[in-house]
Amino acid sequence: MIAACPATGTPMSPAPAGANDTDDVRAAAAGDRQAFQRLYHLHVGRVHGAVYRLAGYDHARAEDLTQDAFIRAWQKLPGFRHESAFGTWLYRLAINVALMDIRARGADPVRTLDDEHLPETGETPFCAAEREELQLAIGQLPPRARAVLVLHDIEGWRHEDIGRELDIAVGTSKAQLHRARSLLRKALGETA
Amino acid sequence: MNEFEWLRQMRELRQPMAPPERLWHAIDASLDDADRPASATPKTARRRLMAAALAASLLLAGGLAWRMHLPAVGDTPAPLAQADGAWKPDDPRLSGAAIELDAARMELQLAIQQSPDSPALQRLLDRTRQQQAQLRQLAHQAS
Repeated sequence: MIAACPATGTPMSPAPAGANDTDDVRAAAAGDRQAFQRLYHLHVGRVHGAVYRLAGYDHARAEDLTQDAFIRAWQKLPGFRHESAFGTWLYRLAINVALMDIRARGADPVRTLDDEHLPETGETPFCAAEREELQLAIGQLPPRARAVLVLHDIEGWRHEDIGRELDIAVGTSKAQLHRARSLLRKALGETA
Repeated sequence: MNEFEWLRQMRELRQPMAPPERLWHAIDASLDDADRPASATPKTARRRLMAAALAASLLLAGGLAWRMHLPAVGDTPAPLAQADGAWKPDDPRLSGAAIELDAARMELQLAIQQSPDSPALQRLLDRTRQQQAQLRQLAHQAS
């Protein structure tokens, strides 16, 4: 089972639920760089994890996107209205940065697989796949299909929210998810 | 594998991930160059602020006009200390003004956080608080 497989990368503890960062948010909004650094250390794990998955487990691109997300957060903080938790606001901002990157790359996907070029090797069923193998397969999905799969299946988003964020219809989101799952199962050698 | 089992295994991939330590230093260095509209209230926010203040003033004027038709019940003023809390009068004719004034006050407080040395914003905030106090007094007299 995947849960029993050794993890790759450097997983870390999530920010404590309901972390009381209000003072730091206010201070950072007023220009306090140290407060912003504390916010960074509190929330970077969740942000970087999500961006890393959306970037297809590409470390270099994920670092660029995380950096971009925090810079934008710094720029937008004075306008943060405390209508949601700062962590939630930051997470959505980072997701948006990663999705904009996918949109910007448009029809020029890098290192992706399509239906005709899937590897035919391996009889390993999905439930026995190692985490690293699964991540590699997700990373090689077409960017938009990967984005829908990551947001829906891993991050737990609804199709309505994904459609809004990616500017696609709900039906398109569902179709992309179906395609992504099929490609993933095929890449992992499962006869779905 | 059924849908439930699939989702369960996929959700296990949802883990926080620590980036390299050097990332913060890169971000920190970039913040110096990051263009941030911090010192001044953005024009759009300022326009919204003015619109909210204008709307609040109009609503207050309406409330005052309505007050002219009420019998005087008493002159006990509502405590000013309550002026900062979210407050909704029972009378629906005053509640719109109360909401607008409260929204204007919050907008002004946020703007003052960004521009703490702005006397114009401070004057607007003082005036809004006075209007809130007047509204409370009206509501008190009406009840």
